[in-house]
Amino acid sequence: MSHDGHHAVVIPAPGPEFQPHTVAHHFDTPVQEFQSAKLGFWLFLATEILLFGGLFAAYFYFHEMYPETFRLGGKQLDWQLGALNTAVLLASSWTMAMGVRAAQTSQKKLLLRYCGLTVLGALIFMAVKFVEYSAKDAHGFVVFADLFAPYDTATGQIPWFQDYDGHMAGVPHGHLFFAIYLTMTAIHGLHVLIGAGLILWIMKGAAKGRFHAGYYLPVDLVGLYWHLVDLIWIFLFPLLYLVP
Amino acid sequence: MTTNVPALDAGAAAAGPRRNFLDVATGFWSWASTLDHKRIGLMYLVGVSLAFLCGGLFALLVRLHLWEPHGTLFSNADYNQIFTLHGAFMVFLFVIPAIPGSLGNILLPLMLGAKDVALPRLNLLSFYLWLVGAALATLAIVFGGFDTGWTFYTPYSLYTEQAVVTIGLAVFVLGFSSIFTGLNFIVTVHKLRAPGMTWFRMPLFVWALYATSLLQVLATPVLGITVLLVAFERLYHVGIFDPRLGGDPVLFEHFFWFYSHPAVYIMVLPAFGIISELVSVHSRKPVFGYKLIAYSSIAIAVISFLVWGHHMFTSGQSTYAMFAFSFLTFFVAIPTAIKEFSWVATVWRGSIALNSPMLYTLAFLIIFSIGGLTGVILGALAVNLHLHDTYFVVAHFHYVMMGSIAVAFFAGLHHWWPKIFGVMYDEFLAKIACGIIFVGFNATFIPQFIMGSRGMPRRYATYVPDYTDFHKASTIGAIVLGCGIALMVYYLVASLFQRRQAMQNHWGGVTLEWHAPTPPPVENFTTPPVVTTEVYDYSTLDLDTMRRPVQ
Amino acid sequence: MFAHLIQDPPKNFVEDPAPPVVPDAAGQLPRLASTFTDVDGLYYFTIVVCIFFFVLIAGVLAYTVVAHRRKTIDQAPASNATHNTPLEVVWTVVPLIIVMVMFAWGFKGSIDMTTVPVDARWYKATAKQWNWTFTYPNSTQESYGELWLEVDKNAAFVLESTDVLHAFYMPSMRVKRDVIPGRNQTVWFRPTEVGVYHLFCAEYCGNDHSRMYAKVNVVTAEQYASKPPPWVKWDDSTPSAAAASAEKQIYRTLCLACHTTNGAQLVGPSWTNLFVRQADGTVVGAQREVVVAGQRQTITVDEAYIAESIRKPDAKKVIGFENLPMAAFALDDQKIKGLVEFMKTLAPAAK
Ligand code: HEA
Ligand code: HEA
Ligand code: HEC
Ligand code: CUA
Ligand SMILES: [Cu+2]
Repeated sequence: MSHDGHHAVVIPAPGPEFQPHTVAHHFDTPVQEFQSAKLGFWLFLATEILLFGGLFAAYFYFHEMYPETFRLGGKQLDWQLGALNTAVLLASSWTMAMGVRAAQTSQKKLLLRYCGLTVLGALIFMAVKFVEYSAKDAHGFVVFADLFAPYDTATGQIPWFQDYDGHMAGVPHGHLFFAIYLTMTAIHGLHVLIGAGLILWIMKGAAKGRFHAGYYLPVDLVGLYWHLVDLIWIFLFPLLYLVP
Repeated sequence: MTTNVPALDAGAAAAGPRRNFLDVATGFWSWASTLDHKRIGLMYLVGVSLAFLCGGLFALLVRLHLWEPHGTLFSNADYNQIFTLHGAFMVFLFVIPAIPGSLGNILLPLMLGAKDVALPRLNLLSFYLWLVGAALATLAIVFGGFDTGWTFYTPYSLYTEQAVVTIGLAVFVLGFSSIFTGLNFIVTVHKLRAPGMTWFRMPLFVWALYATSLLQVLATPVLGITVLLVAFERLYHVGIFDPRLGGDPVLFEHFFWFYSHPAVYIMVLPAFGIISELVSVHSRKPVFGYKLIAYSSIAIAVISFLVWGHHMFTSGQSTYAMFAFSFLTFFVAIPTAIKEFSWVATVWRGSIALNSPMLYTLAFLIIFSIGGLTGVILGALAVNLHLHDTYFVVAHFHYVMMGSIAVAFFAGLHHWWPKIFGVMYDEFLAKIACGIIFVGFNATFIPQFIMGSRGMPRRYATYVPDYTDFHKASTIGAIVLGCGIALMVYYLVASLFQRRQAMQNHWGGVTLEWHAPTPPPVENFTTPPVVTTEVYDYSTLDLDTMRRPVQ
Repeated sequence: MFAHLIQDPPKNFVEDPAPPVVPDAAGQLPRLASTFTDVDGLYYFTIVVCIFFFVLIAGVLAYTVVAHRRKTIDQAPASNATHNTPLEVVWTVVPLIIVMVMFAWGFKGSIDMTTVPVDARWYKATAKQWNWTFTYPNSTQESYGELWLEVDKNAAFVLESTDVLHAFYMPSMRVKRDVIPGRNQTVWFRPTEVGVYHLFCAEYCGNDHSRMYAKVNVVTAEQYASKPPPWVKWDDSTPSAAAASAEKQIYRTLCLACHTTNGAQLVGPSWTNLFVRQADGTVVGAQREVVVAGQRQTITVDEAYIAESIRKPDAKKVIGFENLPMAAFALDDQKIKGLVEFMKTLAPAAK
């Protein structure tokens, strides 16, 4: 949109393989645009943290209420796989940071490469998650086929929690740990997938040369998002796998 | 407020008819894809008004049903759906988004001297999320309705065989609509103030919206995760709210009120903002205690996070929790008291114009004093144990939500109507309607205070005959109220077709929006404004602009 | 959903509520019948504060609107004051003091209401969609939808819910407490006046929330100590008509949601044709087609069949209702006898 008497501010491209960036009409300067988007994004990240905050609150509440269940439940998780995933996410956070750096220094190829590595990290993470979920399925901790089946209101027996080998026998409401585990990791996994999608979108733009020293805002924001996804996992991992 | 903007854009008139944001482009798509905050605000205005009318229609059905002790219209099950729909529509589709979405969107950039909100695309997204939420809520009715009350208390909401998941999704989506609006406003206030527009030169409406936005951003995500968890409970039995599975229904109450108490201030703070503007303009006096009002908005926002437990005094909290929640509840009343007194002091010895926006404002001041003070009564522990979940509570929150917020919304609408559309409604009818609404409103809800204190529980489809007379009085009041609102809708809509021109600065306001052309052009100001004087400085008012019709 | 608009809506509030509440002298609260006087004192104090500020605000506004009304478009305000520190301090501090009084008073009152005295008699109130069951100390008999208490004796209740949230609310006693499944809450009060009072369910619990009602009889010590106690209303020497009317309360509380006494059909079969009155006035069981373990059978209704229908509803399902569930009720023999007597009163004359 352009309006009479208003000249759009344009940031020139640093080289032929890049595109110039036009500052949105209602901003006076690129700095204003950059800072606005950044502030907005930080606020959005705050809402994400609060959203998970609710889940963490539920976790702590039931950890207090049924400490035995959580102790035993935590033992059923494979902490090595969890640690592997932690390492993968940490590494991908580093590659993402390097990607942002590459964008800031107008290194198109490097940006693409680092973004690619980050997406790879996300895929490895999800693959490991898949392995973990299948193990839970095999033990009857989370029988995915019966996930949405109704439960018996008289006995409170939940179809998706079968516990074939009786690992959770003797503790009250064994399913609660796995319900919370599933909910938290699934919502986190969804964030990983969204993050990967965003990075792919960045790569598309990067290939066209949209991001360079003059304009790397979207790369920066997606980077922040990716760090948040990482950060949440840093809390999830010890709480679910180690604390018990 | 003087600025380098000519109060009236004389040059543009010479260059042919000026194009304002309303007629700059036409056609459905020019609205559906617009990024202009004013157009988005108008779309919100239409949306929330329809939601209000639907909610009001449900309210009338509720009232008609309660004419007789055994209920006149519905089965109990259907009545439960109707009052739930009423509460959910009013809260989630009307009162939370109403003022920020419509008047806030239109006025915030104008008042700051900005060209738009900081993130216009996000703004449009907020509106579309609102639409999706409204569509889902309507779909939920089709999918069997929902009868949980607007509070979705577990475990009932987990066992009832109704479209709770759909309405949960609707609330989730609406929550994000609200979050994005708030986020946008915060960024706009921080980054897009015109040169010279310091924090303490911002109009109080902006301050109020800023405080609201903080609440929206910080409280709404908790509601989001709460309704998601309820949906998950229903889908795959997480168990955390279901006592049969080891969960705790009281935890749900904590989650819900952690959002929903701050939410009542999300609803009311923008209304406070409107009132602060209006008392000043229509008394032609700077707002009394400007800084205190600004700070008290922030204080309310902060304290409101700590009082949610006052909705759960009967749920068997520990004595310590009761102590803290009750104490803080009283504490939050103090900044509000400061505001109320400051408004009265602003009107005091002003140059008081008794036009329709001012009448609505006076109605607000009177009704809110009762609504707020009955909240204080409810905060008193021992008394709460008697009054909780009775019609006393129902009357309390209608005094604040209908009598105060909706009335403040009407006041703002009447005040900025000539600015937004450049046309004037029928002032005479407006005054009549305001009177009918005031009388009808009180006739509806005063009987509810009385029967509530005598023990009439809420959410009752039928009742013991003790309360018949009060219910009848309340129903008659609601019908009067409905007539008043219908009249208001009539003359407002009619004004758009009659096209009686408004004045450039119809009421004599001095905040920046009155310096923009009427109705404003897309870019709001012809020359970017620079602010050089304090806010509400009526010595700068150019009376001519009050006499000169828009072209 | 709107089908009911064209049907006759069920006229179903409790048939026999307690007499209307009598307001107290000030005409606002129901007359207090317990020892919780703080509620009333504080309530009236807060109301007076409310009215005071309302009058103050409305009065000031009314005066200034009349006195300083803008008459010409250029009229300047009579005053341009934007600050008055003493005034602002006053209107911050005075409300602060007032609300702190309310807080302390309210907190004290609520402490009294939550600390159960040691000499209290413990009752149990079980809430279930949508009825109340009461259990008495030192008595094996329960009562349904109606409760008896002794005047001037502390009564404490364990509140138990078998399904969703409910709340135990007696306006005249000023007590309310949520009934939460999985958490047994308590509530207590000391009734001070003989009389009949309302007990409401004050937490929304579904369809018949508004019908979840119980009548509370506060009786003298002699009546309370009578043999049998007042909640056991008859023994074998009582005439059957009296037995029937005594146990009608059970029907009102537990069964009316599904069974009618006028031939209309709700969830379950109406009770009008369980028995038939013959020409000579004797009442005999009617014939019933039922399904027993998948087999159709014809049986004659008798006390044993009805007892089984109540305690093990799935044993014999009435044809036409095979797939409809009925919750089992653990009623004792005497209550079932009374119910049978009640059902017999509904019997139509044989043709
Ligand atoms: C926008 C809406 C809104 C607003 C602004 C308020 C404002 C307040 N509310 Fe209200 N409230 C609701 C909406 C709102 N409420 C809703 C929706 C419910 C019920 C939800 C449900 O269960 O469905 C509810 C329920 C509710 C309860 C729970 C009742 C129960 O269920 O048991 C309580 C208890 O403390 C309470 C207290 C207060 C208080 C202390 C204020 C204060 O902020 C009021 C402050 C204002 C004043 C004090 C008046 C102005 C000042 C003066 C006139 C000066 C003199 C002042 C003094 C001397 C103090 N509210
Ligand atoms: C903003 C919030 C808001 C508003 C404005 C209102 C407005 C009204 N409310 Fe509502 N109400 C709630 C929020 C609100 N309510 C909530 C949250 C609940 C609790 C729900 C629960 O318990 O879960 C509730 C519950 C509630 C009850 C209690 C139900 C019960 O507990 O059983 C009652 C009963 O009288 C009632 C009545 C009214 C009335 C008469 C109005 C009137 O003020 C309405 C006035 C408006 C009109 C009369 C509309 C006029 C319109 C026309 C005439 C035109 C119609 C035409 C078209 C649609 C094209 N409301
Ligand atoms: C939830 C609904 C419901 C409630 C509450 C209920 N019933 Fe029933 N009742 C049914 C249904 C459905 C049937 C028919 C199916 C069957 O025979 O089990 C039935 C059947 C019966 C029968 C057999 C009737 C016949 O015609 O042969 C008797 C007797 C009976 N109920 C007694 C009671 C009593 C006594 C109570 C209260 C203490 C009660 N019911 C409460 C649903 C209910
Ligand atoms: Cu039980 Cu409401
Ligand atoms: Cu609250």
